[in-house]
Amino acid sequence: MADSPLGLYVVCDGMGGGNAGEIASALGVETIRAHLVEAARHADLPLIGPCDPTVSAPANRLASAIRSANDAIHCESWSRPDYAGMGTTVIAALLHDDVLAIAHAGDSRLYLVRDGTIQALTTDHSWVAEQILKGVITEEEAERSPQRNIVTKALGVESSIDVELIEVAVKSGDLLLLCSDGLTRGVRPSDILHVLSGSEDLLTKSDRLIAMANEAGGDDNTTVIIVALRDELQTGLWEWLRKRFAA
Amino acid sequence: MPETLSQPATLLVKLHGKGSRHVELTHDTFTIGRKADNTLVIEDPAVSGHHARIVKVQAVFFLEDLSSTNGTAINGQSITRHQLRDADVIAIGQHRLVFQENTTAGSEAPASFVDLDRTTVIRRSDRTPDTPVLTAKVLVTAGKTDRIEYSLTRQVSVIGSQEGAVIRLTGWFAPKSAATIARRGSNYYISPSNNAKALLVNDTEVLGQEDLKDGDQIEVAGVKLTFRMPSGNKNIPLE
Repeated sequence: MADSPLGLYVVCDGMGGGNAGEIASALGVETIRAHLVEAARHADLPLIGPCDPTVSAPANRLASAIRSANDAIHCESWSRPDYAGMGTTVIAALLHDDVLAIAHAGDSRLYLVRDGTIQALTTDHSWVAEQILKGVITEEEAERSPQRNIVTKALGVESSIDVELIEVAVKSGDLLLLCSDGLTRGVRPSDILHVLSGSEDLLTKSDRLIAMANEAGGDDNTTVIIVALRDELQTGLWEWLRKRFAA
Repeated sequence: MPETLSQPATLLVKLHGKGSRHVELTHDTFTIGRKADNTLVIEDPAVSGHHARIVKVQAVFFLEDLSSTNGTAINGQSITRHQLRDADVIAIGQHRLVFQENTTAGSEAPASFVDLDRTTVIRRSDRTPDTPVLTAKVLVTAGKTDRIEYSLTRQVSVIGSQEGAVIRLTGWFAPKSAATIARRGSNYYISPSNNAKALLVNDTEVLGQEDLKDGDQIEVAGVKLTFRMPSGNKNIPLE
């Protein structure tokens, strides 16, 4: 979901049997957006959860929205037996002036493309990522691991969630990529960079990324959002595109 | 979508007065109770109609008591919702169900996902820094700001006149955002903002970003700042 007036970009990748995954991811996205819309109208809307002094007020508001989504999905998971245990990963970014607040849970990612380089700004909350950090396995081994799809944090699975919040300064010329693991599972960052650095429009670029994800044998449900940050005269012009491919 | 391990876990079911048998946990939800619509039916008046269920979240199993009359226990402890680990013994009345996780040789089972009986998550971050994190500050030596000293506790500290700015510029023509100081642990670096006038560190213009060290002189938008990074020694003389 991309809401440019709000400066909000969210990708959720659902988990759960049957259509519970879709239910969880849709509920996640809706709840996050609704919370931020409400906060924009009523600045004194109470925050859900603790306030983190190392990030700005908008970032704390984003974390609050994530917690709200966690509550909503968790509650809904109890309403029907086939929803039991459902959850979703989330990568959410909120742009305010030149600062980007990023909140995530799970293995959906945000990449920053700047000056010809690409960098993942988030670290996956996944079992393999933690094994890499501990030095037990290498990244190459992680890609082949049968446990590579296991996430260690997700919305809706527990009654409360520990939100990881990051904040960075962004500038004109930067490109943001939010994506689910369907893309990053099979496509290398250098290939992603190559596509994003081209001169095509964002629609073409996102089509190419989805095609590459599917060629690499990705699941049939990859979501990609590309945000190009540009300055025109003295005002910011934000372009976005969201492409969802369902088999 | 994320997947589960290919080897199913099993329950060793020992019903009181009967033999034992293995049941594979291939369902996402495995229900246990007296009524016939359960996955595992236990004909015993002490067992509730819908007594408990085992829910699979990716590769991890949780046992949930469904408000049964006589309760459900794991390893002797009464539970409402609890993660199952290999060799846990589930007690429903006088019946015992032993949870057996099948791990393939050479691969570890995932470490504890979460213990839902507690409100805090057990998992601790392994990325604890070796050195203590130090917080820098800036001292204002010239120009209009709302304070003369600022602690840089934030991941991003904006120098500007906008509402969320940490170093708030109060001059009439101050730009909304002149520069930003970003922090990663004890490392700080400064970058100019879009459309801002020149950012100088020690009289040299910064175009991309510049690491800051103790004593650096910052000049931007008519304001002069001195960057101070403590050395880790508690007695820092104020200058």
